[in-house]
Amino acid sequence: MDWKLWALKKSIWVFHVNTGACNNCDIEIVNLLTPKFDVERFGIKLVGSPRHADALLVTGGGTRQAAIRLREVYRQTAKPCVVFCMGACACGMGIFEKGYHMAGPVDSIIREVDPNAIIAYVPGCPPKPQAMIMGVVRALAALQPKEKYATERVGQPVVADPR
Amino acid sequence: MQQNELDNQLSQIRDKLTGLDRKADNRVFLPCEAENVHEVCRFLFSDLGLRFVISTGIDAEDCFEVLHHFSNDESGCLVTVKAFVRNRESPELDSITPLIPGAEWIEREMHDLLGIKFRNHPNLERLILADDWPEGVYPLRKEVQA
Repeated sequence: MDWKLWALKKSIWVFHVNTGACNNCDIEIVNLLTPKFDVERFGIKLVGSPRHADALLVTGGGTRQAAIRLREVYRQTAKPCVVFCMGACACGMGIFEKGYHMAGPVDSIIREVDPNAIIAYVPGCPPKPQAMIMGVVRALAALQPKEKYATERVGQPVVADPR
Repeated sequence: MQQNELDNQLSQIRDKLTGLDRKADNRVFLPCEAENVHEVCRFLFSDLGLRFVISTGIDAEDCFEVLHHFSNDESGCLVTVKAFVRNRESPELDSITPLIPGAEWIEREMHDLLGIKFRNHPNLERLILADDWPEGVYPLRKEVQA
């Protein structure tokens, strides 16, 4: 196994991005990190800067104002970076689909920057912490058979600001 | 101030209002024309000492309605000043921010979303719309389609 990927899977550092969530998903993410679910036992840790992050936990539908910031945060992360869309809004804008203030959903915003981005979806309003853990496990498992592909992507250029 | 006392006081500004709707024991609407809104709010806020709660802006097709909500905390009565802004082309209304500083942001929000210009507002800048939102498009107006 590729040692870089092996190391990555043992310690996923995540950066939390709120792109217009109502805070419900964010509360569940806090629940993940506190003793009841305690994802630190899997090596998953919340960090304060996207430059330290291996994964982005994105909540919220992706508002027009937040989309620019989300693209910038994604550009700053170390690649490969797994993007987790947490909750119904992040997966497909949810009830805000027709809102005048939406630029999302999150996956299309991310793909404007990196068309090959690795994106995992955890639907729910909010998703249960168990579902979030399962989403992370599935996403990491999906990296395994394509580890060559995943690590080759490290050298790929991320497109500059599309605007 | 108790309920009947409030009723007596409200009769002082009767000539500034176009009516007085009492929807419930603790809910009063004071409809008035745009030019009287500052005077009515000054009376409620400064003379009667009611607490300013929030404002609401509505696009009612033929006019804009700006509702300033005040609370009489002693009796639990909500008093709403309902101002009609009849000019749809360039809607303008006197700001109540010089009187009530707490109204600054909600007036900026109504200016963003409905395009109502508040005269004498100290800082009528964009507040909540995205930075790249086009000028002159007011998303909560009826003619704007999502």
